[in-house]
Amino acid sequence: MATLAERSNAAPVLRRSAGLRRALRVAIPHVILVLFSAAILLPLLWVLRVSLTDKVTAYRIPPEWTAPKLDNYIEIFSAYPFATWFTNSVIVALASTAIALPLATAMAYAFARFNTGGHWLRLGVLSSQMLPPVILVLPLFALFLTAGLLNTHAALIVAHLTINVPFLAWLLVAFFEGEAKQLEEAARVEGCTRFQAFVHVAVPVAAPGILAAGLLGFILSWNEFLLALILSGKQTNTLPVGLSALETHRGVEIALLAAATLFAVVPVFLLLPFLRKYLIKGLSLGALK
Amino acid sequence: MSTALATGAIERSDRGFGYLMAAPGLLALFLVILFPIFFTVYTSAFDYTLILPTHDVFVGVDHYARAFDNAEFGQSLWVTLWFVAAVVILEFLVGFTVALMLNSVERGKNVYYLILLFPLLMNPVVVGLIWRMFLHPVLGIVNYLLSLLGIPGVNWLGDPQNAFWTLVLVDIWHQVSFMVVLLLAGLSALPREPYEAARMEGASTIQTFLHVTLPLMRPVIMVTLLIRLIFAVRTYDLIYIMTRGGPGQATDLVSYFIYRQAFVGLNIGQAAALSILLLLIVLALTAYLYRYMRSLA
Amino acid sequence: MNKLLMLGSAIALTAGSAHAETINILMESVPDTRFVQVVLPEFTEQTGIEVELEVVNYAEMHTKLVPQLVAPSGSYDAIVVDFYWVGEFTKAGWLQPLDERIEQDGFDTSVYFDSLMNLVGKVDGVTYMLPFYNYAMGLTYRKDLIDDPKEQAAFKEKYGIDLRVPQTWDEYMKQVEFFTRDTDGNGQVDFYGVVNQGLRPDPIAMEWSNYLYANGGQYYEEGTWQPTLDTPEAVAALEAYKTNLSHYGPPGAASFGFDEAFNVAAQGKAFSYITYNMFRTAYDDPEQSAVVGKVEIAPVPSGGLNGAWGWAIPNSSPNPDAAWTFLKWIESPEIAKKRALLGGSPTRSDVFDDPELAAKYPYYPALRNLLDTARNFPVFTYTPQFVEVLGRELSLAVTGEKSSEEALEAANAEFAELLEKDGKL
Repeated sequence: MATLAERSNAAPVLRRSAGLRRALRVAIPHVILVLFSAAILLPLLWVLRVSLTDKVTAYRIPPEWTAPKLDNYIEIFSAYPFATWFTNSVIVALASTAIALPLATAMAYAFARFNTGGHWLRLGVLSSQMLPPVILVLPLFALFLTAGLLNTHAALIVAHLTINVPFLAWLLVAFFEGEAKQLEEAARVEGCTRFQAFVHVAVPVAAPGILAAGLLGFILSWNEFLLALILSGKQTNTLPVGLSALETHRGVEIALLAAATLFAVVPVFLLLPFLRKYLIKGLSLGALK
Repeated sequence: MSTALATGAIERSDRGFGYLMAAPGLLALFLVILFPIFFTVYTSAFDYTLILPTHDVFVGVDHYARAFDNAEFGQSLWVTLWFVAAVVILEFLVGFTVALMLNSVERGKNVYYLILLFPLLMNPVVVGLIWRMFLHPVLGIVNYLLSLLGIPGVNWLGDPQNAFWTLVLVDIWHQVSFMVVLLLAGLSALPREPYEAARMEGASTIQTFLHVTLPLMRPVIMVTLLIRLIFAVRTYDLIYIMTRGGPGQATDLVSYFIYRQAFVGLNIGQAAALSILLLLIVLALTAYLYRYMRSLA
Repeated sequence: MNKLLMLGSAIALTAGSAHAETINILMESVPDTRFVQVVLPEFTEQTGIEVELEVVNYAEMHTKLVPQLVAPSGSYDAIVVDFYWVGEFTKAGWLQPLDERIEQDGFDTSVYFDSLMNLVGKVDGVTYMLPFYNYAMGLTYRKDLIDDPKEQAAFKEKYGIDLRVPQTWDEYMKQVEFFTRDTDGNGQVDFYGVVNQGLRPDPIAMEWSNYLYANGGQYYEEGTWQPTLDTPEAVAALEAYKTNLSHYGPPGAASFGFDEAFNVAAQGKAFSYITYNMFRTAYDDPEQSAVVGKVEIAPVPSGGLNGAWGWAIPNSSPNPDAAWTFLKWIESPEIAKKRALLGGSPTRSDVFDDPELAAKYPYYPALRNLLDTARNFPVFTYTPQFVEVLGRELSLAVTGEKSSEEALEAANAEFAELLEKDGKL
């Protein structure tokens, strides 16, 4: 056994390497994250640059640095109904997610906790999404035409529901499995009803998953193109459909597209306050006990 | 004994509760999606084209038989297989790494998270158009930057092999954050106890990862892979914008192929049969992965 | 499902008839649409009918239109039809014949160019559409280089013939070879004799058609509809295309659409580009082009490919009478001239003959020449599918995955199948 003196001589070396290891452990993730963020941001910065010039400058190689102009941002609103597209996308995405999330959460809970419908129902629900959307377009069109809902927001919201609910439900099942079960049983023993156990125990524990599912649902709807193309009219066109018109039969209006794209990403900033509140709670939510 | 009786009673009413919880979602789905699915299955047995949209000519399994003879369909399945494997595996590896890193840092979480959300908010059409601009072999910024480094310009989309991998890379840029969001949510929902136990036993980082994190993350990882797989099979917007399935047939994915059968060939009956075949393939794959996942639990 | 569509249409109709007259038109995003938008307020003033123009991306237009046309009553009163959907739309019975209306209102259709009336006007003797704008293909080339005495001398020395606007295909090929060069001395070619648009399926198919015609080939035999793609002329055309694309053009041309190819020429990096004539004005737009004033358009030697869009009234139109009022007006001589003055691509000879327009657009004679010599692509029910097949085979040949002979044989065989299906063969 080493003497105290020997051990205390060894300690500084161990401490230094321990300090180095700890420093690395903190630094390496940041290095990776910075690299990753750069890979995302650098192309977007170039898009910003293109949005402040015009088409001929955008394609000039070597790049020519001209004075930036905001013409594209103005044109996007004046020559195109960008505001309409944006509003429609927001309405449809928010509404379809807001409806899909509770439905999917409840369904996921039933699947996870009570194995409702067994494997067949679960796979059946998901299998509706394994068909390429293109084949569902015509019957859906006929359906909404009959319901008198063509060219309305409602049509697209409902159509997007059918995409969101299966995926969100499957995702959330994974978050309802696991140790939350014991917590719920404890709550039940203390006299909670099943529904109360669901709302007050299961949901908070699965909060990170629910948040992720909500985000996912929003994004799925935000980016959906084919159904939006077929089911919407001039007043209800969403961003993907509207922006595709910038690819004209005489070339792509690239500078306009760049401006429109950056403007469409604005909702991220709108989401920010909401994210900050739930994110910090969610991300560090290991076990709220 | 009374516990056993009580357990039985709970189980029965539990089942009822389960149906009640699942009912609203199922109702919403049935109302909208059931008719289109039946229509697809039914129409796949008829000669139904957009020129003559009637269910008059019954062809039975003819469309299905033709699918097996169709070299273009087979080719598109093959390309899709490679594409899906590449995209799902690579996005998982990158995404999981980023999620782990994000989970472990103390500061800057918000900023990183915000940044990674950007590509997801761009729809595939816009992503395709922008990357086509970046990757223009003569006028694009990417080849220009490469030339500054002394690397000769790459023919990103004009060469069949390159085009395939370029599409994979663009898809990764666009969608890897999807994986990050889901996996990060999974990581942040993990309980603390197992980690504390591992630390007390003196486990190294790698050991903790392999024996604590991975097993606990299994359900989320499996679901993430499954969902991403199903979406990857549906990829068609990106192809349409960037390569139209070319050069040659290098990037002809099956969803785009089926789209063409329906809206260019106007042959809805055939497209329906192809869609059902695709569904069966994906369903088989999903069921297999699902069972594998359950066997591990 | 048709019963469902009929029920749905009935519901939609009763709901819609309460409003004041508004007609909805679906158009694609192209400059000519903008010009229509500019003159619209006049129409509303004159007739009291409001016009709602919905503009979508060209490629998606077909996808969006088809459900609307299949339904007994759709959302659009008038539509525009691309030439290669004409066969499909008329065979499916989606368009209303216009002959009665034309006769009743004394609308003069004789002013339209014959080739355009055949492409986007009449089908089997029945008028279904009024030609809207043309996009016949022509050869855009750097006039400043052709006119440069130094270039002329060097060219004459090398090939023994004069450098001028190419009158024959052979001349053009020589010019393409001549102008492919390394201008900054770094050992790499950076100026290209030609830029091609090899993207599947329509850019490559449309561009190659020019090569086919120029090499004496054709798609099918007039009268018998016997496909003739497996001929030596067609093979020569494909070989010429491959050579141009890989030796005298920029890298990556195998996947260039109109946009990528145009930009190479507009940035001054290519001598020539065979393209739709509406790009001619883009070359003179300082926001899009770095070679303003340097580019001219000429017919492709031996005749280029014709292309056009036509106005039509679908059978599912909720208000066909108002739609016809609009069609009559937008294609009336005064309005057609107005649109042309704004920069539109005309389809009528009276517009071309107008002195005011000829003064404003000096390239009109060249454009007229284009229209006179342009040849039509085979239009039948399955043209879009044929373009898809042709595009695929051409692309496979270009990447070297198939030989030119194999590719053309495959295209020819499938062309025959489609023609048989349509009852033409």
